[in-house]
Amino acid sequence: MYDTIVIGAGLSGMLAAIGRAERGEKVLVLAKGHGATHWSTGCIDLLADVDDPLAGIAQLAIQHPHHPYALAGPAMIEQGIARVRAIGEAAGYPFAGSFNRNLLLPTALGALRPTAFAPATMIAGDARQLRDGRPTLIAGFAELRDFFPPLIAANLRAQGIAAEAAQLTLPPTQRQHDFSPVTLARLCEQPAFRANLGEQLAAYVRKGGYARIGLPAILGLKHATEVVRDLQNRAGALIFEIPTLPVSVAGMRLYQILEDELLRLGGRIQLGGFVQRAERISDTLVAVFSEAAAREQRHTARRWVLATGGILGGGVRATPDGHLHETALDLPLQTPDGRAGWFAPRFLNAHGHPVFQTGVRVDQRLRPLDAAGQLVYENVQIVGGALAGYDPIREGNLEGAAIATGWAAGQA
Amino acid sequence: MDHIELSLTQSLDHCIKCNICTSACPVAAVTDVFPGPKYVGPQAQRFRHAAQPVPDASVDYCSGCRVCNQVCPTGVRIAELNARARAQIVAERGMPLRNRIIARSGLVGRLSSGPHAPLVNFTLNFAPARWIIERVMGIHRHAPLPKASTYTFRRWFKRRKPATNGRRPQVVYFHGCSTNYYEPHVGKAAIAVLEHLGFEVIVPPQRCCGLPLLSNGDFPAAQSHHEYNVAQLLPYARAGIPIVGTSTSCTLTLKEEAPELLGLHGDDIRAVAAGTYDIFEFLRDLHQQGRLRTDFRPIERELPYHPPCQLRAHRIGRPVLDVLGLIPGLRLRESRAECCGIAGTYGLKREKYQIAMDVGKPLFDFVRASGQDLALCDSETCRWQISGATGVATRHPIEILAEAYGLSV
Amino acid sequence: MQTLSTDVLVIGGGATGTGCALDLAMRGIRCILVEKGDLTHGTTGRYHGLLHSGGRYVTKDPQSATECAHENAILRRIMPHCIEQTSGFFVITPWDDESYGDVFVANCHRTGVPVQEISVAEMLRREPALNPRISRVFEVHDGSADSFLATHSVALAAREYGAEIRTYHNVVDLVRVGDRVVGAIVEDLRSGERIRIDCTYVLNAAGAWAGKIAALAGVTVTVVPGKGTMVAMNHRMVNTVVNRCKLPSDGDIIVPIHTVAVIGTTDVHVPDPDVFGIEPEEIQFMLDEGEKLIPGFRQYRALRAWAGVRPLYKDKDVASDRDIPRTFKLLDHEERDGVSGILSIVGGKWTTYRLMAEQTVNELARRLGNTQPCRTASEVLPVPRFEHRAHAMVTVSTDPAAQTPHYWLGKPLALVESEHAAGDLICECELVTRDRIVAAIDAGAHNLDDIRRDVRMGMGPCQGGWCIYRTANLLYERRCADGLSHTHANEAILHFLQERWKGLTPVLWGDQLRQARLDELIYAGVLGIHRLRALAEPGGGLVTQHPAIATEYVQA
Repeated sequence: MYDTIVIGAGLSGMLAAIGRAERGEKVLVLAKGHGATHWSTGCIDLLADVDDPLAGIAQLAIQHPHHPYALAGPAMIEQGIARVRAIGEAAGYPFAGSFNRNLLLPTALGALRPTAFAPATMIAGDARQLRDGRPTLIAGFAELRDFFPPLIAANLRAQGIAAEAAQLTLPPTQRQHDFSPVTLARLCEQPAFRANLGEQLAAYVRKGGYARIGLPAILGLKHATEVVRDLQNRAGALIFEIPTLPVSVAGMRLYQILEDELLRLGGRIQLGGFVQRAERISDTLVAVFSEAAAREQRHTARRWVLATGGILGGGVRATPDGHLHETALDLPLQTPDGRAGWFAPRFLNAHGHPVFQTGVRVDQRLRPLDAAGQLVYENVQIVGGALAGYDPIREGNLEGAAIATGWAAGQA
Repeated sequence: MDHIELSLTQSLDHCIKCNICTSACPVAAVTDVFPGPKYVGPQAQRFRHAAQPVPDASVDYCSGCRVCNQVCPTGVRIAELNARARAQIVAERGMPLRNRIIARSGLVGRLSSGPHAPLVNFTLNFAPARWIIERVMGIHRHAPLPKASTYTFRRWFKRRKPATNGRRPQVVYFHGCSTNYYEPHVGKAAIAVLEHLGFEVIVPPQRCCGLPLLSNGDFPAAQSHHEYNVAQLLPYARAGIPIVGTSTSCTLTLKEEAPELLGLHGDDIRAVAAGTYDIFEFLRDLHQQGRLRTDFRPIERELPYHPPCQLRAHRIGRPVLDVLGLIPGLRLRESRAECCGIAGTYGLKREKYQIAMDVGKPLFDFVRASGQDLALCDSETCRWQISGATGVATRHPIEILAEAYGLSV
Repeated sequence: MQTLSTDVLVIGGGATGTGCALDLAMRGIRCILVEKGDLTHGTTGRYHGLLHSGGRYVTKDPQSATECAHENAILRRIMPHCIEQTSGFFVITPWDDESYGDVFVANCHRTGVPVQEISVAEMLRREPALNPRISRVFEVHDGSADSFLATHSVALAAREYGAEIRTYHNVVDLVRVGDRVVGAIVEDLRSGERIRIDCTYVLNAAGAWAGKIAALAGVTVTVVPGKGTMVAMNHRMVNTVVNRCKLPSDGDIIVPIHTVAVIGTTDVHVPDPDVFGIEPEEIQFMLDEGEKLIPGFRQYRALRAWAGVRPLYKDKDVASDRDIPRTFKLLDHEERDGVSGILSIVGGKWTTYRLMAEQTVNELARRLGNTQPCRTASEVLPVPRFEHRAHAMVTVSTDPAAQTPHYWLGKPLALVESEHAAGDLICECELVTRDRIVAAIDAGAHNLDDIRRDVRMGMGPCQGGWCIYRTANLLYERRCADGLSHTHANEAILHFLQERWKGLTPVLWGDQLRQARLDELIYAGVLGIHRLRALAEPGGGLVTQHPAIATEYVQA
């Protein structure tokens, strides 16, 4: 019997679990697998396309009183992020940034992406610094199929940044093939590999006078801050990482520091546990059943946090005949009317696709409501992507909304 | 191939190519001869055709640890797809002699245990003999081989005087090959604990669960073992008598591996699967029902504990932590290493020994760093691997439980 | 205006036009082929990939059946790298008329389509996913064919024989002098430049667009664009072509081709071959029909849907478009309409493209006084360079069957394995290596869609999630010296994502919906491509959005 069981191991679930564990509760995180954190940039996006994210959020909360940010409230947003930053600080992986001004960080295509907080390993890439007129080098490896310096540099140049591209020579290693970002991150933690890399970068700096060097986010898994510091010293220029396609090394680091923190607080994590049904007594969730070898496993807790995500996370699934359902507890969902309204004709339509706002409608305490507005469970809270009425990817608040609601559930 | 079996293949449809499995795979992390679970699993599967030649062999470097299944956010049965693909290679190209031998743990155990065990053990400890075995058979000379026992568990069980005081609830014990031939003390601890809790323990005839055969791709032989075991266990399962085992791999095989990989889904197979429990899973259930005795003697120790891959594949959490956590004074430090590397018979093979040692390194470091002279692990081959690599003694957690109950084994 | 001159100007770069170009060139007749898009841009690139045994036509269209049976054997010989010998079943399900089985067999015998009845048990042994309630099974010589690769191979051979093939050249007018067509004005869609091509004959091989070309010469050709919708499923639940044993209708065939299984098709008359939609009911109907052949069909993952337009020629009143004969017809406009210098080849199907070309070129050769015989039935076609390695001999087994240079499903996997190229896969789903992408770019692919058709990039489960980004970068790096700028590369990504989206939306549910969301995370979230829209414009030879080649899917 746990005090709290959190279903889902993404950012919102981990924050809720850490919050409960900190209060001395016995906490289990039960998840099907690794969460969306592994696919993300490793930054903390609060709200895109506004100068001042916090002011933008306040505005959003007024316009959309059911938006997750409105439900969590400004205090939870600030506290939750402060907690993540404190965890990062303690783990030697600090985040920098501000609630009131978005950073603009280069993507692996050379677009400038707004984000509120980024790991220290990325911070030197902020466009305001890059536009100081001093040359920037974008460097990668031909062997890495997820990072192409020439197009990044060309797009940055078109946005007023003096960027040039270079391909580095892969330092000698025992590996012969398959240089994925994760493999390279492991190699970067080997001193000899890193020394060779540093020498190459130094040579470029001597030749081209670069003030900053952008590299793919492969600079170490566990000791990234040290790796970046070491390379900066060797190269004689500031280094910044640029997030790559999933699986993202920076996303893995973020997950890792949260997992470490939860375990340190005595919480438990059970992966491979796919929750598929619930047992209730009136409006109390008594137990859930997770898929296991030969028979289900029954889990009991006093309170529950559902953090299974939306369609991407797997918390919401659509059937061929056009129905959407919540996968773990079979909760009622708020969905667009009919399949015809699911999609916009253009993939990159500015407002995204209505189907991706499907989720669970909740009360002010994040507890699930049915279509009539009646409380479904008094001891369940919904956090993150499983919540209805927002599109975290297109609004640019993937991490912010997850942290705010997760932290709110951890405190209430 | 029936329709349920098709659903295993169908699970490849869930793959969204995100590579989370590859980033977590302990084998892909240490070698580039293995291109990773997504590549050899759901990705390669779309290019395999039962009636055409097998196009790829790198899937043989999958150790079967199932870390991929565990982290996959979409529910692809990657490890099972890989096991199937390996069986197709074996069916097409045949099985090396080495794999034939190590896959038959029952036979090997029967030949090596008994009064002549010291001689066998001496030979297997003798470097030139191991060198010859490596050259001739491809079993790495440093690979951890268990010490054969001078007596078998079954022989001990048959000769002992069972505790009988009135009618007791019954439980079936599935000992597996390792307990029978190499570590009868694990079985003795299990019997002692179960009897202490008021059960009458039945040990029906049994064969190797077939897991080494499955992981080496000999599906026909595995099937005959499984069918034999099901026939022996079925009457108990039908009577509602739980079947418990101390080997997490044997119990996993009875529960899921054999039925799924072999496509056996009859009622009898299902009944035995549904009636089988890892011993700590069983004890945890007892505790939840308020039926577990908690008259423990305190054990003031902090011990490293490694939950083996085979246990994690049960998808039942950490029953050892739940149950041993009840013992006053005992603190278990859970290893977060993915795998010890041995993966049953994988790490014995000459070409895979170094990979296995590299895979296990984080675990070995963890055990050494604990500074303790004892580590706990539920799986026999993992225990041998940990001890072989670190020199630290290892025990099954049931032995600690027996000790906490004050039972002499 | 630049002026070129030739004997025969072939209009249309599908299977028929390209086949004609090869046949002409082999006989030493000068020819230029123009195609407004890429090769196979039209119907050839949008069909289910069936190499007909003839079985589908034995009852309603016996002549087509006989032609298919004959051509089937020839194509297996001349393009073994494009054809998978899957074999085919005609099955009677509980929803079909039992008595048609005997009629079917009798008609197969009558039309020369080889057929053999097998037991249901044997069928289930070979294809365990099929419905066990199927009552009878007839095996025929169906296969599956890579029509992109086949057309490229034919074009390669045609070029080797001296034919000139110009893709992205749109015919804007035909030049008529009195009652004779003497040439055409074509526009190079990449440069906007116009070219005049003088010729002795124009051969209209524009398929579903043949009516539009004929109109330029002032003659009427009624082509009924019969839209057929298909759905590709994520993996091959069957390795044999499976047909319902009944008169051809909607959703009655599943074709295993490459890594996917395609269920098809519908047949809906559309007014314009460039404007049509995919209706949700069509998809649901096909899933229902699929369920009759493979129980649980709906639970399998659908990858995408697309539609092609059949070039059905209507020369008399017929009740339904399915009743229009599937055979082809060579129209002599001099005899028919009093306009000389132009012939139209209409109707037909991919399997009979070679025969169509042979008969067309026989007629043209006769008129041009050329007496060379047709040799296309005996000369084995070359393999394009971007495909060469994928189809190289790969030894994976001592089994002699594995030594065949022919197509087999596992070949790309075997090749990647032997080259340790797993880390160099640009398209991971379809196992396309960097080398093959670069070879396709160097062979002249103009945009990501051309590369897709050449090497199957972006055609697997993730529908381009990772490989669009990678391939666009390779295209940029390879071509930036030739004037392809970052704005073109950005445009290439945006355009291709949108093209994929059109075919995805009809089948987005379950895993594919989740995948689409992950792709959105990648492109809008991680890469922020939409922020580069101001830095995106067509050009540099990309020709992605020219109105002449855009297919507008109407939102249903």
